Amino acid sequence: MLSGSDTVYVLRYFDVIGRAEGCRLLLTAANASWTEEHPEWPAEKANQPFERLPVLVERSNGNEWILCESLTIERYLARVFGFMPTDLKQAALQEQMADQQADLLSAFFGQLTATGDMKSKQIDEFNTLFDRMVKEHGRILSRSSSKQHLFGDQLSYADISLYAFYKLFIVYLKCYQSDIAEIVKSKLTPEIINLILSIEKEPQLAPHFSKCDTMAAIFTAKDF
Amino acid sequence: MSPSNASYTLRYFDAIGLAESSRILLTAAGVEWTEEHPEWPQEKPNQPHGRMPVLVEKSTDGSPDFVICESSNVERYIARTYGFLPADLKQAALQEQLRDLISDVISLFFTQIQCKGEEDKAEFQTKFDGLLETLINVQTKLLKDNGNTGRLFGDKLSYADIITYGLYINLLVGFVKFNADIADNVKSKLTPEIVKLISTVETDPLVEKHKSRGGSLVAAISA
Repeated sequence: MLSGSDTVYVLRYFDVIGRAEGCRLLLTAANASWTEEHPEWPAEKANQPFERLPVLVERSNGNEWILCESLTIERYLARVFGFMPTDLKQAALQEQMADQQADLLSAFFGQLTATGDMKSKQIDEFNTLFDRMVKEHGRILSRSSSKQHLFGDQLSYADISLYAFYKLFIVYLKCYQSDIAEIVKSKLTPEIINLILSIEKEPQLAPHFSKCDTMAAIFTAKDF
Repeated sequence: MSPSNASYTLRYFDAIGLAESSRILLTAAGVEWTEEHPEWPQEKPNQPHGRMPVLVEKSTDGSPDFVICESSNVERYIARTYGFLPADLKQAALQEQLRDLISDVISLFFTQIQCKGEEDKAEFQTKFDGLLETLINVQTKLLKDNGNTGRLFGDKLSYADIITYGLYINLLVGFVKFNADIADNVKSKLTPEIVKLISTVETDPLVEKHKSRGGSLVAAISA
């Protein structure tokens, strides 16, 4: 671990799952000292380096260091706390999954806001990308020695990022589109559902589920 | 670090787009590399995520080639391997966050041009303009704080410098085919510090061999 025992983190975001869940899960899995702040918005916009959230504040030895952009924060925390492989090739294989997931989130909002004849085109694009991603997750999982993890036999950045992604689509995005959870659930294979449920049973993540529900109750026997 | 006899293939369209920063990084790294322009969309299923760019690092020991994708991931991999991103985690992260902001600016550009109604077009133009302004302010402050040397961090060509150049060659040249107004819009907002960065990157000895389809960005700005 590369952070001192006196290092504390503050995650600034809105009080929603949104784009910060990966950060929350990483800080929890790391057993870091951390708290969350929900800045008044948009009053606090000008006080953030990129006028956006999330923002990570790291305080250590009287010094304060600030980082922006959800994916950069995730990769930084993953490296600090040993969830990202140190081998550059292995790290790149995990990072590209997160980038693909970010594309899917963009595609979701693209099809949500499209109108006219662009709407069905964007919906098709979203479905194509999602199905391709699920296939890729399945391919990686099939090559993994442990069906409870994407790479190796321990919780990794890729596992945490995947869990946050599916939680976003199955639990959160219904506030934008009421049927998205069912659409996404119908695309998942039993192997992927098993992976999701295995990740959330990781002891390192237990404190996270004292603050929110697991997804176990969402997947019934007919989903498998 | 990869051995010095590593060689690469970069797969993309024959266009500036999201491969330009990787082209510059590979050139600056001084490694052997070539470009492929796969038949599209025929070759879609043969790419890891069905998209490009894709980077192939050719194997030297008979094992399968190493293949990665996603433009910013490809850039980070090359940058880390060849020392354009610092080994220090905090220093690297401060550079990486700029690229994530750039991704969102590019995303808003493409969303805006795909909008059909006038209201939607105007809404996303406002969002694009707003985020671009934020990005320009962030970049300019970093350049000023670094002594206005035309470098965002430190005193050598960095990943951050290259991906910043990669953004502007698109906004000022590459994306004009999608939106004729974009070049003038962005040109009018460039600060002297950013113009100096563009010139510093383009004239860096490590970048000399890079031949852009868009020609000289410095020339495009002065035109």
